[in-house]
Amino acid sequence: MPDAHPPTRREVDVRGPRFAAWLTSAVLAVALLTGSGVLVAVQAAVFAVGALAGLRYAPYGVLFRVLVAPRLGPVREREPEAPPRFAQLVGLVFAVVGAAGYLAGAPLIGAVATGLALVAALLNAATGLCLGCELYLTVRRARPARTA
Amino acid sequence: MLGGALALTALAAWWQRRRDGAVRGADDARGRTTTAVLEGLGVRPGEADLTVVQFSTAFCGPCRATRARLQQLQATRPGLAHLDVDAESHLDAVRELDVRRTPTLFYLDRAGTLLGRSSGAPRPDELTALVEAHVPAPGAREGRDV
Repeated sequence: MPDAHPPTRREVDVRGPRFAAWLTSAVLAVALLTGSGVLVAVQAAVFAVGALAGLRYAPYGVLFRVLVAPRLGPVREREPEAPPRFAQLVGLVFAVVGAAGYLAGAPLIGAVATGLALVAALLNAATGLCLGCELYLTVRRARPARTA
Repeated sequence: MLGGALALTALAAWWQRRRDGAVRGADDARGRTTTAVLEGLGVRPGEADLTVVQFSTAFCGPCRATRARLQQLQATRPGLAHLDVDAESHLDAVRELDVRRTPTLFYLDRAGTLLGRSSGAPRPDELTALVEAHVPAPGAREGRDV
């Protein structure tokens, strides 16, 4: 029999990552409009905290818990932390490239990378689709086989 | 640039909505290969009226909801079997079956015929219809235990 899915670890309120995705979209849209490498770098730092330290420390997640969640009803649905946390890592890669592009005087690279990060964040915010998660298996299976 | 990003987002969202969860059929040869690969993973279609094989990864939000939905259907349709495969530890099968996203589901009848496959969270009505078409309601067949 194939083995079961990995055990679920930490869980988060599903509305948290969704809220964070909207905020991320707004920040990246402003960065794209103003061509601000600094703003993309700030967003990269936000992604880095979420990806490396965990969503409970992610700045937008904290904002959600402190300011937004108390105004909403009780938690109705929780989801495993791993998918949205992985998405933060994918966002981090794009934001780092975007910030580097803008700050190193290559605005086209900056704009394309920031634009792609915006697409991913906006998709996540609007439809709940996690683009990074969708691509995970595609990337994983392209790598040489490891014995199971 | 912002306009381009918005247009791309809308396009991706439309594509995803159109394709997500849609059950696609397979030709006979492809179906037989698929069944053989799945049987290699330990799938035994002969033990249930309908066997749903789900490929999942740890970084997959809709996988859990899909699993829950299938388990819910199992409660009323004991002839339905659901098997979860961790895609990452079966990458050879993933490549052979061309699984690109998770969850990807394969539907097999008791004879081992591939009825179809779908990627993304299955559409509730389509899934229910498929289950109802292939799995008799309890009572229709007395004394069966799965």
